[in-house]
Amino acid sequence: MNSTPTADQTCEAAVPPAVRKCSYAEAIGQGLAQAMELSDRVCVLGQLVDYKPGVFGTTTGLVEKFGPDRVQDFAVAESAMTAAAIGAAIAGMRPVLIHHRLDFMLYSMDAIVNWLSLWRFKSNNASALPVVIRAIVGKGWGQGPQHSKSLHAWFAHLPGLRVAVPATAFDAKGLLLESIFGEDPAIIIEHRSLFGLSDNVPSRPYRVRYGKAVVRRKGKHVTLVAIGIMVPLALRAAVQLAAQSIDVEVIDLRTVSPLDIDSVCESVAKTGRLVVADPAWCTGSVAAEVIAAVCEREGRNLKANPGRVCLPDSHTPMSSALEEAYYPNEDSIVNRIVTQFQ
Amino acid sequence: MTIINHQTILEAGRYRELSLNGADPVVVARLHRFMLRLRRCEEALAREYHPADEMRCPVHFCIGQEAVPAALSESLTQDDYLFSHHRSHGYFLAKGAPMRAMFAEIYGKETGANGGKAGSQDISYAALNFFSGAILAGATAIAAGAALGFQLRNERRAVVAGFGESATDEGIFWETVNYAALRRLPLVLVCENNNYSVFSPMSKRQAVETVSDKVAAFGMKSVTLFGNDVIKVHAAIADAVEAARSGKGPTFIEAYTYRWSGHYGPESDDLVGYRSQAELDAWKANCPIALLEEALTAQDWLSTAQKTEMLHAIDSEIEESFSFAKTSPFPRDVDWAQMNLSNRSPLADKLLMDIDLDVFDENQTFVQAKGY
Repeated sequence: MNSTPTADQTCEAAVPPAVRKCSYAEAIGQGLAQAMELSDRVCVLGQLVDYKPGVFGTTTGLVEKFGPDRVQDFAVAESAMTAAAIGAAIAGMRPVLIHHRLDFMLYSMDAIVNWLSLWRFKSNNASALPVVIRAIVGKGWGQGPQHSKSLHAWFAHLPGLRVAVPATAFDAKGLLLESIFGEDPAIIIEHRSLFGLSDNVPSRPYRVRYGKAVVRRKGKHVTLVAIGIMVPLALRAAVQLAAQSIDVEVIDLRTVSPLDIDSVCESVAKTGRLVVADPAWCTGSVAAEVIAAVCEREGRNLKANPGRVCLPDSHTPMSSALEEAYYPNEDSIVNRIVTQFQ
Repeated sequence: MTIINHQTILEAGRYRELSLNGADPVVVARLHRFMLRLRRCEEALAREYHPADEMRCPVHFCIGQEAVPAALSESLTQDDYLFSHHRSHGYFLAKGAPMRAMFAEIYGKETGANGGKAGSQDISYAALNFFSGAILAGATAIAAGAALGFQLRNERRAVVAGFGESATDEGIFWETVNYAALRRLPLVLVCENNNYSVFSPMSKRQAVETVSDKVAAFGMKSVTLFGNDVIKVHAAIADAVEAARSGKGPTFIEAYTYRWSGHYGPESDDLVGYRSQAELDAWKANCPIALLEEALTAQDWLSTAQKTEMLHAIDSEIEESFSFAKTSPFPRDVDWAQMNLSNRSPLADKLLMDIDLDVFDENQTFVQAKGY
């Protein structure tokens, strides 16, 4: 299939031909372009989506191909934009909303909580809202207290929404397509530091299902569950720990609602140890939910207290010196896991 | 009245301007019957509400506000979309949805419009493109989105949102007005201005009390009228719906009206002292049904025998709806997982491939994002 010149053809050709090395941002752009080709019901709404830089490169080229009605720059009216997407979905469209920064999405909490998440339930399954919201979270380089909030736990708390936190380019494209062509509202939290990360991405449109975690690295001593940007850190921590003869099984949750607790429990049943790395505040986190859910089923089989590697319960500082102290890194994960064996 | 607002309407006293000149008697008869049916339905629900306490559901009655729903029932086809506020019963019936399904919903029964999950203030009937919701202005923007969907696909449909003036206290309403005017959406915004947000009058909530003046400043066509004159309300709504369907853009209609009952439930809330008896009496003297019947009788378009026969048929339907609601079973399904998300994805099944994950590259390069 032909894709947009910007998304697909700039990807480095690789072998086998069906798979190309692509950045996370390019994979998202490719997914959007393919979705819009597959169905004229798909439209993109967001601020500045029809300008050359696009949204960190993920929308570049779309307006030239699909026109300004389907790739629509929207007024700085996030709450009306989200509600309009709900209405468009009721009218049979499959809108994708994009927020350069998750913070702006919070203007639309009424639309998300009181309408979007509730719609299917209160219609008694007679009306569905396939609305996709992409929200981007920053990390580092002074993103500071405003642009660093990863609120996936808030949205995972609500029934009626699906929430994805893709960690790889492959998942970013597959989860986006699955969300657009699914029958339920989906919120995709994208960590901007992942946008330059590259992976093997199939050129054809494919799906990554919600509620299916994946084992990124097999191991037998400890289960390390990671979310979003913590996945690449977890994989590198696992390499460090292997040098200390600790064999880490790394599970990427991929979606936090629905949450694949079965896969985590299966791993914990084997390892007897659990650490969860979640790029969000510790209290009330998805990490807390994972540990609670695992303890309910596997608590008696744990050989050590489970642990969380999260952000401190504090807003994020701007200063690079404080950022360094604030964000957990590979070593934080390594240290937390080492204590499980002491 | 040259300037129409709550003050000038009260000062004018009994309304004398309802005119049937040029009106189609068949349409007028349907408007009349609709209002009568809605009034009887609300009165019957209010009477039944407490004795047995079988309706365990908050209900916002619309007695006194029948004209707008009647005009909508006459102006909309099945293809048009209607979004209602929490005072939803008139709108539900306006879209042609069955009374018995509404009663059963209020009773929380399996046979209710939404299987007892939504209740009065969130009731919907998707098959007839009718939806409602309680958090005031949200549905105005949702309606704009539906209008966008039809505009993008060149479908000739109108989308209407009905709401109270309190919804215009909320910011999303103004975002919607701006967006709908900008894109010339096929949208009709109908504001039933009954002056009160529960107890609080508009004068305590907005510096300029006429909403339509402000909407006009956003570049949207804006109409102000006495909302209990069903002939005028119908003409305005029918014009606006036709304008929407034919690509002439959105219209805002501000219909001044009054709620006779308390904010919710069958009892009066006048003991709170938020409005005067004189005000209530003045509005009851301007009852939308009485005003129309006066004109109908004067024209000899309605006889006592006709009205008696009409009431008999309406009361039978109400009786049957109660019986249906009361004898229907309660829902028993408690499979919560099936109620909030779909277990099917037919379009994704058709369009997307399942691909094995072995393509994952473990040695991914990771770049720290720099710059704003």
